[in-house]
Amino acid sequence: MEPIDQELDPAEIELPAEPMLLNVGPAHPAMHGTVRIVMELSGESIERCDVQVGYLHRGFEKMCERGTWTQVFPYVDRCNYVSPMLNNVGFALACEKMLGITVPERCQWYRMALGELARMSDHLTCDGAMAMELGAFTPFLWMIKGREMIWDLMEEETGARLTHSFGRVGGMAHPPTAGFKENAKAVTTHILGIIEEVERLLLGNRIFLDRLEGVGVVSAEDAISLGWTGPCLRACGVAYDVRKSHPYLRYDEVEFEVPVGQAGDSFDRFMVRIAELKQSASIVRQCIERMADTGPVNVTDPRVILPPKEEVYSTIEGTIQHFKIVMEGLKLPAGEVYAYSEGGNGEMGFYLVSDGSGTPYRLRIRPPCFYVTGGLERVITGAMMADVVPSFGSLNMIGGECDR
Amino acid sequence: MPSFKLDDIDIPFEPGDTVIRAAQRVGVDIPHYCWHPGLSVAANCRMCLVEIEPPPGRPAMMLDVLAWDAEKHEYVPQKKPKLQPACQFAAADGLVVKSQSSQHATRARSAVQELLLLNHPVDCPICDQAGECRLQDYWLEHQHTKKRMKDEPVHKPKGVVFGPTIVYDAERCIVCTRCVRFCDEVAKDPVLSVRERGNLNEIVVSPGRKLDHPYTLMTEYVCPVGALTAVDFRFKARVWFLRSARTVCVGCATGCNSFTDFDPRTQEVYRYRPRENKAVNQYWMCDEGMLDHRRIGQGRVLHALVGGKPSQRDAALARAADLFVSAPPETTAVVLSAEHSLEDNFALLELARDGLKTQNVYFTGRAPGQGDNVLRDADKNPNTNGVKKLAPNAKPFAELVKAADEGKLTHVLALGSQAPADATALGKIKHLVALATHEGPFQAHAAIVLPAASWAEAEGTFVNRQGTTQESERAVTPRGDSRPAFRWVHELRLALDRPPAWKKLGELRAAMQPASAAATGARP
Repeated sequence: MEPIDQELDPAEIELPAEPMLLNVGPAHPAMHGTVRIVMELSGESIERCDVQVGYLHRGFEKMCERGTWTQVFPYVDRCNYVSPMLNNVGFALACEKMLGITVPERCQWYRMALGELARMSDHLTCDGAMAMELGAFTPFLWMIKGREMIWDLMEEETGARLTHSFGRVGGMAHPPTAGFKENAKAVTTHILGIIEEVERLLLGNRIFLDRLEGVGVVSAEDAISLGWTGPCLRACGVAYDVRKSHPYLRYDEVEFEVPVGQAGDSFDRFMVRIAELKQSASIVRQCIERMADTGPVNVTDPRVILPPKEEVYSTIEGTIQHFKIVMEGLKLPAGEVYAYSEGGNGEMGFYLVSDGSGTPYRLRIRPPCFYVTGGLERVITGAMMADVVPSFGSLNMIGGECDR
Repeated sequence: MPSFKLDDIDIPFEPGDTVIRAAQRVGVDIPHYCWHPGLSVAANCRMCLVEIEPPPGRPAMMLDVLAWDAEKHEYVPQKKPKLQPACQFAAADGLVVKSQSSQHATRARSAVQELLLLNHPVDCPICDQAGECRLQDYWLEHQHTKKRMKDEPVHKPKGVVFGPTIVYDAERCIVCTRCVRFCDEVAKDPVLSVRERGNLNEIVVSPGRKLDHPYTLMTEYVCPVGALTAVDFRFKARVWFLRSARTVCVGCATGCNSFTDFDPRTQEVYRYRPRENKAVNQYWMCDEGMLDHRRIGQGRVLHALVGGKPSQRDAALARAADLFVSAPPETTAVVLSAEHSLEDNFALLELARDGLKTQNVYFTGRAPGQGDNVLRDADKNPNTNGVKKLAPNAKPFAELVKAADEGKLTHVLALGSQAPADATALGKIKHLVALATHEGPFQAHAAIVLPAASWAEAEGTFVNRQGTTQESERAVTPRGDSRPAFRWVHELRLALDRPPAWKKLGELRAAMQPASAAATGARP
């Protein structure tokens, strides 16, 4: 018998190299939040891709223009909902910058401690999810257990696990609870233990390292031009941290380092977060050490802060103060301000415009995730299909922040 | 023009002005309770205290005071300048006045405010004034301190009925005597006075009298706090939910400028407030006008009627058009209304002239009532002058009745709801189509009734007794199937296939200009 393919050119047996369009999301479980990636694949490598973030649109900046300045807090809670305390404090700081007031020292330490705990919750979630998406389920469970401890602590302090709405212009909704210091110390100790275990489990694991090292590389120049901030930028070797570069609250009085990576790959982003977890734990400890057990948490200016309820119900001055702040809203002087702080994923900026009434005239939020997600296309173009999920995970996109 | 300096702002003034009046004229507010631009000066609240710098070369008038020294823990003798009430201090050229910039004045204001709140009840949650209360505003602007007095406050009568329209709460009262002065000076009925002294004083009605003159609601209006409340508005709405439209009162020919306060959520009108107009109503309105907002919802015609039965609006319009399409001009007439705006009347008059080709034009309106020499006019129609200007040859209502009685009219299109006299003869008109806002003789006798929007539901122009043309804004959306009368006329003319040259309100107003010029004889 003659071979049937005797006359054929080997090139002709190949399947036609037609590009394949693959759509992931917006409701795919690996697309942390509603984001959609349309990829053009050649084999398994991504030739081109299009990242679309518009699937979550609540219009929160517009919503903010309806109520009073105080009523914005629940909205900013829902930006980065894994570390809402950082948004709360960031927004309060913006309003206070406009008013030209500074909160009492005790409140500043309290805000820092709660904020660093929120940052830890953010990083634990991101790193845990990265490990899980690469098949390592145990570290995920451990880290989420650590996050649960933080959330329990937050619930104890604020009454809510996730969306606390705890910040106030000129202070906090409540002073620290009696057990706060002890609880925070216990939680940070426990989490440091978890991190150690996670490191032992993952950092010697060939599969884990191979999937992350040298994958999703972004150069420092690219990261800066993309507007990246936070852990993703620091993984590229740029030591920009708002807490160090433009200290706010009392960050200039605590000791901490800004960990940076070298390669700018997914592994560096993972490791920067691990290192920051340890730094945050150290900051929390320094804060609770220096935070006084008694003393005012809120400013005393009656035009800004609500009176105690007993006064509202028993004195006319208290009633008027309460009425004015609740019904008309506290009045920020006319003007505009940009205030920024270090959020879980980078520079969390608030640009406020006030016309002097009790309602925001315009409120623009600079969410770090929006810019980081904007760079996703560059990170995964040319990569393998299977690397999309860990690379995307290492950017820690939070859907709520990408609301456009 | 002479001027003085107030906190480094140059304030021009006219001879005879006080500091506060001159400042207010240029929009600079000096806090005050008892002063009102339309009343005499009492200078009893002491909120407007300012520091006046002595003339050059003269020493300032200083007072010896004891000031608390927190460090020494005792009172130490000090001097402070004698402050003057800005409401009483005559402005003089080159005067240097310090209001917000004087620490003595701001301290005095804080102290006055604290004193006024000393015995004030915790009433904001149940007080109708909350949201527009001077005590609230000034606490925030000038006091900022918490309660220092630990004693039980002085209790005084609450819920005192002053008359059919006003309820008084002595605990909320700061005894600024604005209401007393208003009754004396504007209403010319000195029925209110002050009893007792110090923190026991309160406003009382003269024995054997009630607060029942025709301007009682103005006492509530001038009250800077929640002491006087109107029975009509009491517990009805919270003011921060209300929005205001700039309107003209249609209660009589005076045409007082007013604000119509309505709730945008329910489209309900809750009250009127006077709007300052020096030429027409100064700062005031009468009770009749203030309560006129009730008529917006009372006895309204909200749906089209055909033969007395409710009908679809389009069907009713088609029937009306059928009636008029072949109406003989000599027995056809239109009736204008002094209750309605110039726009409504002009649209109808134009229909008569161009659409129906008839010369028979009559006018109606509300029956005359009581007038006085303060504000109220006996003519209870807001636009009598406007109708006269628009149609000088329009015949009065009596002639309409006469013509109807003699059977000279077969087809009549009538605007307005009320008649100034007995109107039973209207029943003899075979085809009477009424454009009515309210139930009344026209609605009762009409074969077809088209529901018209009331004054609060449409924009309109009115000419008052002085001949001043004033525009009134729309406050709420028309109720039911009602719509502005000029819209009905427009639709009727479309149905008659004789469309007018205008479509929108702006075009209608533009078309109105030459007509009113013609009415005054400017055009042949």
